[in-house]
Formats: sequence, structure tokens, C-alpha cells
Amino acid sequence: MIAAIAVVALAIFPFAFPDPFYQQIVVTALMYGALGAAWNLVGGFLGRVSFGHAVFLGVGGYATLLLLRHANVTPWIGIPAGGIVAAAIALVVGRPTLRLTGHYFAMATIAVLAVAHVLMVNWSFAGGATGIEAPIADSFRLLLFRSRVPYYWIAFALAVATFAATLALVRAKPGYYWRAINGDEAAARALGVPAERYKMLAFVLSAALTGIWGGFYAIYVGFIDPDSAFSLTLSIQIVLVAILGGVGTIVGPWLGAALLIPLAEGMRVAMGGSGKGFDLLLYGVAIVLVSLFLPRGLITLRWRRAAA
Amino acid sequence: MKKLLAVLMTGFALALTHAAVAADTTIRIGAIYPLSGALASTGSELKQAIELAVEVINAPHTELKDIPLAAGAGLPHLSNAKIEVVFADSQGKPEVGQAEAQRLIDQEHVVALIGAYQSAVTKTTSRIAEQRGMPFLNPESSSPDLTERGYKWFFRTTPNDETFIADMMRFLDTVKSVPTKRIAVVFENTDFGVNTSKAVEKFAKQSGRDVVANIAYSAGTASVNAETQKLAQAKPDVAIFASYTSDAILFVRTMRETGYAPPVFLANDAGFIDSRFVSEVGPQVQGVLTRDVWANDLDTIKPVIKQLNDMFKSRSGGKNLNGNSARSLQGMLVLASAIDRAGSTKPDAIRQALAATDLSADQIVMPWAGVKFDANGQNERGQGLILQLVGTQYATVWPDRYEQNKDLPKLPFAWKH
Amino acid sequence: MLEALSTGLFNGLVYAAVAVGLALIWGITDVINFAHGDFLMLAMYVAYWLFTLGHVDPTLSAPIAACALALVGFLAYALIIRPLSRAPAMIVILATFGLGLVLRQLAFIAFSPDYRNLPDTWLSGSIRLGGISLGRPQVATGLVALAMIIVLFVLVYRTRWGHALQAVAEDRQAASLVGIACDRVNAQVWMLGSAAVGVTGALLTSFFYVFPSVGAVFVLLAFVAVAMGGFGSLPGAFLSGILIGVVESLTGYWFEPAYKTASIFVIFLLVLWYRPRGLFGRW
Repeated sequence: MIAAIAVVALAIFPFAFPDPFYQQIVVTALMYGALGAAWNLVGGFLGRVSFGHAVFLGVGGYATLLLLRHANVTPWIGIPAGGIVAAAIALVVGRPTLRLTGHYFAMATIAVLAVAHVLMVNWSFAGGATGIEAPIADSFRLLLFRSRVPYYWIAFALAVATFAATLALVRAKPGYYWRAINGDEAAARALGVPAERYKMLAFVLSAALTGIWGGFYAIYVGFIDPDSAFSLTLSIQIVLVAILGGVGTIVGPWLGAALLIPLAEGMRVAMGGSGKGFDLLLYGVAIVLVSLFLPRGLITLRWRRAAA
Repeated sequence: MKKLLAVLMTGFALALTHAAVAADTTIRIGAIYPLSGALASTGSELKQAIELAVEVINAPHTELKDIPLAAGAGLPHLSNAKIEVVFADSQGKPEVGQAEAQRLIDQEHVVALIGAYQSAVTKTTSRIAEQRGMPFLNPESSSPDLTERGYKWFFRTTPNDETFIADMMRFLDTVKSVPTKRIAVVFENTDFGVNTSKAVEKFAKQSGRDVVANIAYSAGTASVNAETQKLAQAKPDVAIFASYTSDAILFVRTMRETGYAPPVFLANDAGFIDSRFVSEVGPQVQGVLTRDVWANDLDTIKPVIKQLNDMFKSRSGGKNLNGNSARSLQGMLVLASAIDRAGSTKPDAIRQALAATDLSADQIVMPWAGVKFDANGQNERGQGLILQLVGTQYATVWPDRYEQNKDLPKLPFAWKH
Repeated sequence: MLEALSTGLFNGLVYAAVAVGLALIWGITDVINFAHGDFLMLAMYVAYWLFTLGHVDPTLSAPIAACALALVGFLAYALIIRPLSRAPAMIVILATFGLGLVLRQLAFIAFSPDYRNLPDTWLSGSIRLGGISLGRPQVATGLVALAMIIVLFVLVYRTRWGHALQAVAEDRQAASLVGIACDRVNAQVWMLGSAAVGVTGALLTSFFYVFPSVGAVFVLLAFVAVAMGGFGSLPGAFLSGILIGVVESLTGYWFEPAYKTASIFVIFLLVLWYRPRGLFGRW
């Protein structure tokens, strides 16, 4: 399977390309791929487009850094804790939002994100608008390093775990129920699918995975503030990655990230320094072209081959 | 076919990331600024100012005597090697700035970094520099906590908000024509605004003043009616603003429309000194005061100000240097002079040279007492000015020794109709 | 308090004006136009340049901006939306997002990121009514918004053409079965919705600054207004816009301006809690 090849390739990558810059691109791509995959549980399989997923990322990130800064808790615990807190938030927020359909759900997720953003900006314990910075350290215990290489391995491990988790979920009962609910919720209920429970499950698991990556993001960048963490742009980027790759497929988001992230980075690196704006222009054009020519996402390239 | 397209695109994208090989006779410095996004208009001015600094260093400019490196071409202690600045776009985002910082270090092989205007972006970019042992010079960010992190590689030429707000209070102490006891702060809810408001709280108390209103708002908001109303209700003697250009313009328009004029309209730099602000709404908001670090009318006291401003004007299509761009220019000059004094491109040598920087007032372009970094990397000799908008330019009103027109400041502030 | 209420009302009318075009497109063609804010931005630049180069007041350039934007809307539909009509619904999100980015960047390259502001125009100045001061441009924009919504309401709900629109929105297949040219209807809706944005943008320049990313300032509130009002309901979007303006203003007046956005979204979530299809949503 492609996945196995990719895993091996990624494992060799840092040795083949010791340049931290390329590793950073791969780390970012892995992160967005994973975020897209997590999002996919709700957006692709369950069929509810969420534009507010960054809220879980932010929650996870803040939890990790707050625990580190104020309680000296290592991110080994902090990152999973971030996932749990995000899951808890999803539990609370899911109740009122999952009742909503389609567009309303999408807007409600944006609303939740926006409210969270305002709350964080005004919460001075969490740094308010100034945000929180992680200390600089080279410590395995604190998962903080001076070199970027260890972060590559952490991202790699998390990505494999995320992929495995989504694979397992989708292939098992939850996946079937989700697709049933997505197809026709009324019919599914009629057939005995405990829709409420499984909708919430998708939401909570998606949030937990996103929250864990939020924790990673926090120690990777070493700084978190409301604008970067609870960012609508970031949420939209996650959705784009999943759509581009192929919504509702396991591999899709990873493909989407594999194209979108190097493209964005490449454009910025090549042309961003001039400040003329061509890099983002080409990026936008590329997005439009890809959506016109590959409307079902990059994943269709594989199907086409199979069909031909 | 489409698969080929996708592969080609990814390959193309990755190929673009491969940097050009650096020439060995130039000293490369990485500059990270918001060249796109909401602050792009300021970012592009800062870029032009740095390019001007590079021109001053690389080409002989004997008319700018006393400024280190201006007279000769290139860096004398490094065989007249020229400075080359590699610009990177932070897009106004901390994580992008950080990625670019890393790229500049690893791929572009820069010997030092300069940037990044916004405090949040400066935090993440300087973090990379600190982790990798690369000198980082910050010419413009005013958030005090940047020099409270215990970093060894971070150097900041601009004074921070503590100095600036203290200067504001000192200025207010000299104002006798109107009361200045009640202060209201209107600030955007970001690092910059929050730090301004905290500093005002601290120094107002110290100078025996009361903060009667603390009005935070979200940057880039569609309307500021509510904020203006709250401000008017508080009836302050002095209204201090911490806003970037867009909101500054909106506040001016809204306050003018609702007819509210604070008796002392005092801005903390940023948007209010932006050349666009001055040209677009300047005529309407005559008499506004701002803290700044640069004033073009100081050229009689410091001729180099006019010389540089003229050079900048021809580069930028007529824009004047302001506190933002001038500081970037100064930062670049200080960094280059340190590299020169180090006589080497080794990071540690540059760092030591930076730490040993001791420039006097004549050797810098800013109207400061000089440049000397304290143990935290903060320049101790900087200072703020207070300017008032008269006509198409800001005129210096404080400190007294710089004031050209002794009739100023004209107070209280009122709208021209 | 009266001042807060009235400025909130007129700000709300401005938001409603921005939302109306979006409501039309979203409600009838079921497409989330992520480039909506950038359409607004284009209209603002049209009015800005007409004034700066041709001394045409924004009130007069409104119809010109409307035509220009109708063209933009048509092109967007023909080149991007229509080709994707058979594709999964979500890909359109990607496409309109890309379109918005392209428009923004074109404006960035063509006009530079500098903020632009119109000096005093016909509409400048304030109106004082019994102690309250209202900006004249805002009042004018609000009144035009009101007029626009009435015109659109009549068009969509009281004419034959409007009934065709509603038919397409409700059930495309059935509509085409009875002989309605769905494609043409969709194109017309895109043109009409974009024209509405054109008018709003032109008027906005009389009191708001223009720069390439100005769309972002208004677009989110427009989205909320459409969702809160309910998809498929023009009056809903309009009233929600006004509600947003009032809530924003009163939050600033009673509490802290820092919480303005939060309270808008909280009210929105509350509305959805009690009415999962918005205030007047039909689907």
C-alpha cells in the first residue's frame, strides 16, 4: 500500500536530506496531513464540515504550555493532556452543535472558534494577547530541543499513530456507522444506528487527535498566542488540505498536505522575499486550477489509474 | 496525465525551495518582515529603509561622516566585503517567521538575523536564533518582555515601551495649558496594545495620574463606535492610543464624525506615524500628538537626518522616513558595524562585538544618546520624542532641546471642519 | 444609550448590506462564496479610483461598481462555479477560497498594500438628531441597504422570475423538469448578488479605508448574518445584520468593547440552539 511505502520513505528522509529546512517542510506537511485526517473523521466520514477545528489545536497547545510553564509538567504528559482537554471541550460543544445540519454546523464551529479566541485574548493567566513562550532547553524530559531533528521524529511518530488510529476507526464499526449517518441520518437511525453517540464519538476523537497535535505545535514553535492558535485561517487550511486530497478517504488529507504545504512553502521561499505578492497569487491560482481539474481531490489520480 | 501534473507541481515547488549558492565575498544578513498581510504597507517601508542602509554601507558616502561604515565601501575589517540582505516574508505570522528564520540560517547561510517589527514574530524568530546561536538584532519591537527572556544572542536597538511611556509621562508633566491627570488608554488587543496599556498603568501611577478607562478592541474591526463612545463617556484629559494604521484611520474618522475630541490626543507611534496615515487623514487630524523616535524637522540639529530622508524619498517614491523605517535603518547600521568590528563572520565574534557596541550620539542617525546594550541586550541610550502633526509633517514638541517651534504644542486638540 | 442603539442600528444596516448579496448567492445556488469579502474589496477599489482619478462621488459610482461586480460575479460563476456543479459540494469551497486569494493578491500587486481613504465626499459629515451624532455616510449606506433589500425582496418573492429562483433553490431537478433554465438562473443570481455587493462596497468607501484585505473585516459578520437569519431567507439575513450591529454596540456600551465579537457569536449560537435553522431559515 502507498502508506507503507510512505512510512519507509519518511523514516529514511532525515538521513537522506539532513537539511533542517526540508525536514521542517515535511514536519509541517505531516502536521497538516494529520490535522486533515483528524478533521476528516467529522468532515469527511461523518459529513459535517467544521471550520472551527483550530479551537482544539489551540486548546491542546495552550494546555501543554500552561502545564509546562506553571506546573513544570513535562510535555510527555502535557501533550496527551492537551488531547484530553480538547476532547472535553468537544464533549461540551458537541451537544448543541451536532444537532445542526450542513451550513449551520459549519457556521457554529466558526462561532465557537471566535468565542474561544476572544476568551483567550482576555485571559491574562494564559498570557492574554501576549501568549506563552516555552523556555529554551535541550532536554528529553521537557521535549524541548535546540535542534529541529528530534521534532521530526516526534512528528513522524505522531503521524504514524494518527494514521493508524484513523485507519482503525474507519475500518471498524464507527466508520460504518459514520458513513451510514452521512448517507442518510434518518435511515440510519431507523436501522438502529445509535446516531447521537457516534456523532459525538467522531467529534470527540477528532478533537482529541487535533488537541494532541496542538500540543506538538506548541513545543515545536515554542510560542503560542491567540492569533496564531485560534486562527480561522488555520482552520480553513486544515479543511483545504482534506478537500484537496479527497474528502472521506483515509489517505486523502495526507496527499493534500503533501502537495499544498510544499507548494505554499516553495512559493513563499522563491518569491515572498520580494514582497510583491506573486507567491500568494500563484498559490491561489494553483488552488483554483487543482479544484477545477481534480474536483474529487488528488485521491482520484489513483482511482483513474485503477480504472484505466 | 493529471498524475504527472501533480508530481510536477510538487517537484517544482520543492525545487523552488532550493536556494541559490551564496557568493563568498558578500556578508549575508537575513531580514524577516511582514511583506504580505495586513502590515505589508509598513513591512515594505522597512524593507526600503534597510536597503538604504545597505547602500550607505556598501557605497562610499562621505557626506554622512561620523556614521560608521558610511564613508567607505563595504566593511573595512573584512576586506571591504559588501553586505547583502536576504529578505523573507513573515506574512505577519509567528510560525511563518520562525520557518523563514530557520531557512535563512540553514539554506541562505546568513551570519545574522534582523527583524521582525511585530513582537510576536520577533519572539519566535529570535527563539530560533537563540537555539542555533545566531546573532539577532531587533530594531523596532517595543514589547518589554523581549529582553526579559535571558537570551544571549538577542540585541534590541529600539527603546521599549517602558522607556516610551515614561517619556510620555515626562512630556505630559510639561503640559501646563490643559489638565493631564485623567488618562484613558485605547489599545488593540494584541501584544503591542496590551504592553502599552500595562506600561501606562505603571507609569501613570508613578507620575500621580489616574487611568480612568482601559479600552481594548480587536484589531481590524469593522466599527469603533462603541469604543469611541466609551472613551467619550470616561471624559479623560488625555487619550492614549495604541493602534496600527487601519484602526488609527478608523478611529480618526469615527471620532470626527461623532464630534468627540479628547483634549490631548496622544498616540503611541505605530499606525499614527505611518506615512499613509499622515497623507490620508492627516488634514483631518491636525494637532494629534504621538510618541515617536524620529522627526524630520530635527535636521537642523542633526543634518544626517535630512540627508538620509532625501535618499529615502528618492527610493520610496516620495515617502518620508518615519520612526519605524528609521529604526530599521539604524538597526542595520549597528549590526553591520558590529560585524565589521568583529572582523569575522563567526557568530560568537559578532555577538561579542554587538555586546561591546558603544556608539555615541554623533555616530548614529537616530536622535538618541547613542547605542550601548545592557546585560539583557537592551539599548540603554535610546529615547522617545513627542511630535505633533502640523501641516503635512510631524513637528517635534518634546524634549525641549529638540523643539524648533516654541509655540507648540497647540492644545487642546480639536477637529478641523 | 440611545446613541449606542442608533449607531448599532446603522452599523447593522451596513453589515446587512454586505450580507444580502451573500444570502442571495448562498441561499439560492447553495454555494459558500469565500471570495465574497474580496468582491466587496473590488467594489471599494472601483469607487476609490473613480473618485481619485475621475472625481466621481461614491454615490454616483455605486451603479458603476454594481455593473463591474455583476461582471465579476458572472465570470466567477461561468469559469469556476458552473464547471464544478457536478463535483462534490466541498470542492467549491476550495475553489472560491482560491479565487478570493487570487483577487486579493491581484489587488495587492496592482494597488500596493497601502491603506487608502477618501477625503470628504458628498456624504461626509454627521447628522445630529437630538443629541445623537450619526455619521452621514453610515446613514446613507443604511438607507440604501434598506432600499436594496426591499427591491430584492420584491424581485425574489413577488415576481415570476423570483419564483423561478426559489424553485431552483428548493429542488434543482424538479425546477429543470418544469422548464426552468437552472444554469441561467444561477448565473443571474450570481450577477445580482455581486451587484448588491458592488453597491455596498462603493458606499463603504465614503467612510471606511480600502486595502487589499479589507474584505476580511466584514465577511465573517456577513456569513454569521446569513446563517443566523436562516438560509434561503433574505429578510432573515437583513434582520440578522441589524441584530449583529445592535448587539455589537450594546455590548460595548454595557460591558467592554473587547467582548463585542464574542457576544455576537454567543447570540448566534443561542439562536441556533433554539432555532437550528436560523431565525427564518427554510432549509
